[in-house]
Amino acid sequence: MSDEVLLRATDVVKTFTSRGKKLGVRSVATAVNGVSLEVRRGETLGIVGESGCGKSTLARCLVQLLPVTSGTVEFRGVELTGLSRRQLRPHRREMQLVFQDPYASLNPRRTVGDIVADPLKINKVGTEDEIGERVRELFVTVGLDPSSLRRYPHEFSGGQRQRIGIARSLALNPLLVVADEPVSALDVSVQAQVLNLMADLQETLNLTYLFIAHDLGVVRHVSDRVGVMYLGEIVEIGDAEEIYDAPMHPYTEALLSVVPELNDTDAPRRERIIITGDVPDPSDRPTGCSFHPRCPAATELCRSDKPELIELRPGHLVACHHPRNVA
Amino acid sequence: MLSVRDLKVSFATRQGELRAVDGLSFDVGAKEVLGIVGESGSGKSVAMYSMLGLVRDANVSISGSVKFEGREILGLSDREMQRVRGGEVGMIFQDPMTALTPVYTVGWQIVEQIRAHTEMTKVQATARSIELLGEVGIPNPRSRVNQFPHEFSGGMRQRVVIAMALSCNPKLLIADEPTTALDVTTQAQILDLMERLQQSYGSSIVIITHDIGVIAEMADRVVVMYAGRPAEIGKEIDVVRYPRHPYTWGLLGAVPRVDSKNSRLVTIPGTPVSPLDVPDGCPFAPRCEYRMTICDQRPPLHGSDDHLDACWLSDEQRLQIRPTPEGPEARP
Repeated sequence: MSDEVLLRATDVVKTFTSRGKKLGVRSVATAVNGVSLEVRRGETLGIVGESGCGKSTLARCLVQLLPVTSGTVEFRGVELTGLSRRQLRPHRREMQLVFQDPYASLNPRRTVGDIVADPLKINKVGTEDEIGERVRELFVTVGLDPSSLRRYPHEFSGGQRQRIGIARSLALNPLLVVADEPVSALDVSVQAQVLNLMADLQETLNLTYLFIAHDLGVVRHVSDRVGVMYLGEIVEIGDAEEIYDAPMHPYTEALLSVVPELNDTDAPRRERIIITGDVPDPSDRPTGCSFHPRCPAATELCRSDKPELIELRPGHLVACHHPRNVA
Repeated sequence: MLSVRDLKVSFATRQGELRAVDGLSFDVGAKEVLGIVGESGSGKSVAMYSMLGLVRDANVSISGSVKFEGREILGLSDREMQRVRGGEVGMIFQDPMTALTPVYTVGWQIVEQIRAHTEMTKVQATARSIELLGEVGIPNPRSRVNQFPHEFSGGMRQRVVIAMALSCNPKLLIADEPTTALDVTTQAQILDLMERLQQSYGSSIVIITHDIGVIAEMADRVVVMYAGRPAEIGKEIDVVRYPRHPYTWGLLGAVPRVDSKNSRLVTIPGTPVSPLDVPDGCPFAPRCEYRMTICDQRPPLHGSDDHLDACWLSDEQRLQIRPTPEGPEARP
């Protein structure tokens, strides 16, 4: 890992406008509300949060699959927001996606060989033969048998399909791979195979990952740094070990405390902090701190003033008026 | 309370016989929480559904014995089964959206169930449903009772399903992946609720899940299933700390941990066997790194009375492969 910043997002906002509950009234849902982050070359940045927190929308905004409402995204120092599709193309080659659902993300009518060859053909990389050779090579890289190139997606299991999705994402030797819940549809034994594969590929191909997941164990396992999202905002971001061992935001603390654990040692269990209520509607955000209606430590200040994301320990940023584990 | 013996469920398909459950036996004691864990296709849900007569497939054949409070319930008539289901045995399903019908209010659905099993009047049943919604932690139950499922969030819907399952004071609650569709903070709320209700109602619970963490949190005893067969049965603490079956070793090692950094996950090579093609011997043998010649024969479920496993490895071999941690609780 180096300190070179590959991707930098500054104050990214994404809103969706929809017909509101009342007739004739439009409602605006802020899915991503002012996110700033950096992805450094060679690292894995994990983004964790519950459903609806905006983590997938954020990922899509970062790779310009969705236009941002405001804010900027820089990739290798080049500002991507506002570029035309044609201008984006050379950058897109360098950032590839792995999707959550290995059933929906592969076209059932095409052979897996064709699916993996697509990025190469679209970008006109090499001759037919060279492309065929590269596809076979990619199949070997992700642990699939190249003799199955002519088969269709339905002939593969979930774990194998996810390997095909990974092979497709690697076809153009990207710098950054954005994986949106790549293992959440898989059984635990297969999930472990795919996670190990991703770790091996990162090492051999010097990849940078932006890894989005709701499973806290998975995120800890893969990440060098972790960002915790709540209601479209990053509430805490920093070194993975530090966040898991000494979370500073009350939301992170509660989230970690309620993950069901195997108590296979005599170490005392974290005290469970069960937060009540549901995540608020992103079109009707609370005033002040977004988390205050559910926060056990909320005060008057939290109701009125929105906390800034500030660096409380080196490289560890928190948006909270009453952070934990500060000393 | 519940005693299952040699339950077998198979489906006749064009590709041959699909053995979904192949010789499952377990007991659930009074006030006990039994966890059944396994990956998709291990037969854990089919086993429960077939016990309760919920598998309506014309091609199914079910054999074995399922005794609920000493009474055989396998093969009861539909009418008799309906009295058991929803009455003495409550059920919680995985997906709270499909478990509730979208076209009736939640109150209507709870009242219907109460009236199907008790002599209560509509007014009494409505009062009871409001009380139940309050008990499962739904704010303003008096007004929420008249709302439709789509007006509730996922966690709140699952609370409604739980309220429904509890409406007739069941002695046994069967929960099939009750928190799989939920976020971790909501999951914590629901598991906490189930624990509290289990204490106040004194029901036994069978909880089916693929998440061994949920089992560790909730269950007193665990059944680990693989390819329709039990691989290991024992007290939760024994199975999690002193697992005996190679499949359980793999399963436990494959879970990325929140409490400590694990550098590399243990993987089980290959993929789960197809239930169309379960080997005659040990079903795990094709993926097992400790495979021996004897594994071509089906291993019996054996061991000391409260910790059983189906594996041919001897105790010495297991100790060599996986030394038990030293300490007062160390097992032979």
